[in-house]
Amino acid sequence: MTMSATPLTPEIVSHEGNAMVLSMGPQHPSTHGVLQIMLEIEGETVIKAEPEIGYLHTGIEKSAENLFWSQAQTVVERMDYLAPSSNALCYVLAVEQLLGITDAIPERASQIRVLQAELTRIASHCVWLGTGCIDLGAISIFFYCFDMRENILDLQEAAGGARMHPNYMRVGGVNGDLPEGYLAKLDALIAKFPGRMKELRDLLQANPIFQDRTIDVGRLSAESALEWNVTGPALRGSGVAYDVRKAFPYCGYEQYEFDVPTRTEGDAYARFLVRLEEMEQAMRIIEQVRRKLDAPGPVMIDNTKIAAPPKETIALSMEALIHHFKIVSEGFRVPPGDVYQAVESPRGELGFYIVSDGGNRPYRVRTRPPSLYNLQALKGMATGAFIADLVVQIGSLDPVFGEVDR
Amino acid sequence: MPSTQTPPLAGLATDPTSLRPPLTDATIERVDATQVRARLEALKGEGYTMLLDLGAVDYPERSPRFDVVYHLLKLPATATTVASAGTPQRFRLLCGVDGAQPHLPTATDLWKSADWAEREVFDLFGIVFDGHPDLRRIQMPHDWEGHPLRKDYPLRGPARERAPRPPFALKSNVQAGTPPSGKTLEALQEQVKKARGQ
Repeated sequence: MTMSATPLTPEIVSHEGNAMVLSMGPQHPSTHGVLQIMLEIEGETVIKAEPEIGYLHTGIEKSAENLFWSQAQTVVERMDYLAPSSNALCYVLAVEQLLGITDAIPERASQIRVLQAELTRIASHCVWLGTGCIDLGAISIFFYCFDMRENILDLQEAAGGARMHPNYMRVGGVNGDLPEGYLAKLDALIAKFPGRMKELRDLLQANPIFQDRTIDVGRLSAESALEWNVTGPALRGSGVAYDVRKAFPYCGYEQYEFDVPTRTEGDAYARFLVRLEEMEQAMRIIEQVRRKLDAPGPVMIDNTKIAAPPKETIALSMEALIHHFKIVSEGFRVPPGDVYQAVESPRGELGFYIVSDGGNRPYRVRTRPPSLYNLQALKGMATGAFIADLVVQIGSLDPVFGEVDR
Repeated sequence: MPSTQTPPLAGLATDPTSLRPPLTDATIERVDATQVRARLEALKGEGYTMLLDLGAVDYPERSPRFDVVYHLLKLPATATTVASAGTPQRFRLLCGVDGAQPHLPTATDLWKSADWAEREVFDLFGIVFDGHPDLRRIQMPHDWEGHPLRKDYPLRGPARERAPRPPFALKSNVQAGTPPSGKTLEALQEQVKKARGQ
């Protein structure tokens, strides 16, 4: 009996002996997107699982090659649609490396970037927890999580102008300072957060049904996690304390105090605990950033070759008008070279390998998508599991298909 | 008016590593396609436990045409605390691949994670990885023709012969009884049908 090599086989189910090949997805509610898994099963036990991806392939890397450096940011932001600010941050950091302006980014811009990245981490983990619990049949958690996520999306909208894809990062800083009233809203969220987290923990952490479904499910040892190239909470749930924010600090992360939670069990419950604690650590960073944000300062690099000059100067200065026109009509140029820049996205190490040929468009934007590699580990994890546990395993890896397929 | 075409390889030297000093904490090395397998084995032996990423870049005017880029990370499984993980060593291995019959030995037996990464490079660039256990398209449909991330692949897909757009009459610019062309609406509709080949 062999697995079907063709993903779109018309025969959904075929029998041979005791084993059966079953296609799970691509339209399955627990796959969090469009994932097809070709399962070879015997009874309820999975003998082999082969995920089939690509149903959401939108050619983002190809599109990015044909857009200006600043325009490409908008398409790469759409890869991980649950954590858009992480994608945008990684991309702008890479471009800034190529431009050689990393050290010239204003302090306040870096602080706001950290704030956005951590807010988006909490929002993303809220979606993971809410939808992951729906997979287990626990509906109410979803509403608690999405309520908190809604507060964060409001903040994103206030800062960038859009809820889902704020496009707030810019090469050279961020797009405008935080609006009036933003910090008050942020304070309200900071005040609300501990109570909400306590509620979530009370509902789940010691819940026997939740523990039954997650403990010992989807075990991943530290060695096999490394071999499968798993990063982020899934790797830390297996006991390896690798966090890009600590190992390769960017945006001044070394100034903030936070812990990297790890667990040694390597099962779905360990990953759950790691992510919950990560949300609390993210809030710890946000509180530290918040204290710095009272002092005003510039949020954009003072270099009109890269950043458009302030709008109000356009009517007064011929040069400002020319720079503005040049940046809008043909973008800025980036010196030739290649760079690999990584950030810690909510799913793990998000990397961009960017090549520039000196033009006003990226020559190549290669992404290291954490979701793709994390999901690939399912191949090793699923063998011997029950089909019902497969749903938990997928949920505990937290893949986002915009990023897996790009 | 900015061109919609990707700009030519102005200023891009044959060896991108020589252009700028290393920007990250990575060691950067370039090897030939014949040596890449031995080099990867050696690196794995040196403790590079993770194949962080495997991607490719197409330089159509250069020989060898493709660059396959390996990113490795030296992260021991015993790094259970942030202090013991420290700043793990990164390694970037670039390997030129000839454009006529692009192929490279697989790394799937060294790192399991190379599986999907190599399939993606095969799918989008057409580089064959010899010895890969299951080399087939991963992102594009299995019957797709061409390799989309090659530079000579058009952005909007392969040119298809498009039927000329049939003339049509909008309600707003056709007044009842007096069509602008002097023809009746029925005649216009007849014209549309004809253009559509009905």
